[in-house]
Amino acid sequence: MTTGDSRKTIIPPVRITVKAGFVVFSHNDPERKIVILEKGGLRAVDSSVTPKKELFRMRPGDLVGVAALLEGESFRYDLEATEISDITIVSEDCMESELKNMPLWLLACVRELSGQNRQRRENMRKPRMENSLKSLAEFSRFLKKEKPYPVESLIQEYCWQTRVPVAAAKEDLKALCRRKFLELQKQDDTLCVVAHDPELLKLFVDYLDTQDQGKPWEPLRLSLNQKKALVTLSTIKASEVKDAPSWLAMFQKKGIDLTVADWIYMLGQGFFTEKDESHFSPVPEKVQYFLLALRYEINLRGVL
Amino acid sequence: MKFSAGEFICLEGDLSSSLYIVKSGTLYGTNTKGNPAKPKIFEAGSVIGVSSLLENAPWEYTLRAQEDCEIEVVNRENLDKTLESSPTWLNSIISFLIKRNHVSEENKRKSDLVQALPSLLYVFSGLLKERTDNAVSITLLAERLALMNGTQEEEVRRLLRKLQDLKVLKIQGDTAQVQSRELIPLLYETLRFRALEHKVSPNILSMTDQMMLSVFIKLSQRSKDPLRNGLSAISTADLKAETKNSMHGVTLTTRTMAALVENKILEPSTTLDFHAPIDQVEFFFGDFDRIMDLLELNRIFPLLDKKLVE
Repeated sequence: MTTGDSRKTIIPPVRITVKAGFVVFSHNDPERKIVILEKGGLRAVDSSVTPKKELFRMRPGDLVGVAALLEGESFRYDLEATEISDITIVSEDCMESELKNMPLWLLACVRELSGQNRQRRENMRKPRMENSLKSLAEFSRFLKKEKPYPVESLIQEYCWQTRVPVAAAKEDLKALCRRKFLELQKQDDTLCVVAHDPELLKLFVDYLDTQDQGKPWEPLRLSLNQKKALVTLSTIKASEVKDAPSWLAMFQKKGIDLTVADWIYMLGQGFFTEKDESHFSPVPEKVQYFLLALRYEINLRGVL
Repeated sequence: MKFSAGEFICLEGDLSSSLYIVKSGTLYGTNTKGNPAKPKIFEAGSVIGVSSLLENAPWEYTLRAQEDCEIEVVNRENLDKTLESSPTWLNSIISFLIKRNHVSEENKRKSDLVQALPSLLYVFSGLLKERTDNAVSITLLAERLALMNGTQEEEVRRLLRKLQDLKVLKIQGDTAQVQSRELIPLLYETLRFRALEHKVSPNILSMTDQMMLSVFIKLSQRSKDPLRNGLSAISTADLKAETKNSMHGVTLTTRTMAALVENKILEPSTTLDFHAPIDQVEFFFGDFDRIMDLLELNRIFPLLDKKLVE
């Protein structure tokens, strides 16, 4: 009975019995529907080739057409009965009427389930990382120093690994060149890219990563005194061992007034390693890392 | 249900079998897989926990109210009652969607793993070059791969276990150790060549070439002469005799050695005339470690694709 309220009107699905060979739907059928096999057998065939190619067979309880009806995808095959079969056909109108009567939360669940699948398929073609510039910098940091790499094949290799679109990768490459981490050079007729100091790219990745995490990057947070101490430390051998007061005294002698808080901060950053109880020696790799960051601060920040 | 700003609504991993619909306000969700600095925002109208309600799956997020908010909760009882009064075909469609999601999730998992392998080999090779020993920290490898390719640590460990099964490396605590420093770069290069050149890499050898190299290695190992700059030299007479022995009566000819010489894997003591008998050459020499790596590569490569999707 029609009540006049469209929310209450239910269009029932169609139940039919078909004979073997009956085409339940064709790939060029404009009408979208879900076909549920209740009894008998159906097979999906690709009719665009001669002879027809069987794609899969359906057993009772199986259904097809969900993607077509819910997600607007087109059918890619024809469906025909292999024996006398009972089928239920849920048309677009039938589905719509049922969805209208469904509580909104269940409708949201169906949409979410359908969306999740589509999203996953799309994600399989997309890069998995968010920051493609950081990704390309990480890739480039493993390039051999001073070796020219043809741009086209390097980009192709990077995109193969990461699924980043070629156009985006080329933009990122330009960004790395603008920051002078990479340089474009012509070798004969081939455009090549050269990394003069791959260590800088590693530094840039670390910088971008802390930014992505919403954290400040420590090398660019040093106070003037801490920077001076760092430069002094770079001239001292790794074998030098002193206790904390002696280190502070040494810095003071060189006109650098470090507080205990500065000392604790520098220890925390790994500028020193504890040799034995209360005795420390400098860590040249860490000191060099911070110094390099300070030297290339403008390149890192990208404000050339 | 009403929640005040800052209040926790549920924790990641909870088994509550319920669905939340945000009626008003904003929630933010964080999980151990995501970036804590970029939580997922759920605004009014958002539906959260479909898998929890339909499949009793653990909660994907820890949810917290960003501001005062109102949430409608649908539990398992509500779902069962609604489905009881719905047509059976609707249940079939929901079951189908759930099943299809599981299949697509599994396909995505496999695709991600297959896709992550070249990057893992690339970064592993790069980290190995920065070190003097043959070990790479797995934590460091996972960190760098996450930066480059978004690969998760669990996937890195799974891939490393697969490579360990193929005897490419050995996992010891937090390190992955390799016996040969060149095998992983070689494996990467072979994959790269296949994917980008759409051809079989020249590193992939025919069965005859592999058998010849095995004969060469066998004789090198038996030889008392020390390696010179890593090179091993074997006389043609010894190669002929051992080929007959190991390769079921096969006679060594110039033709047998042609591909190995052309690919510069083995080199003849004098220029090889491909029309002259093999005895024209006094001995053949080659880089012992490189040949060992090539043989290992040829053992591993045919097994790799199958192993990845196992």
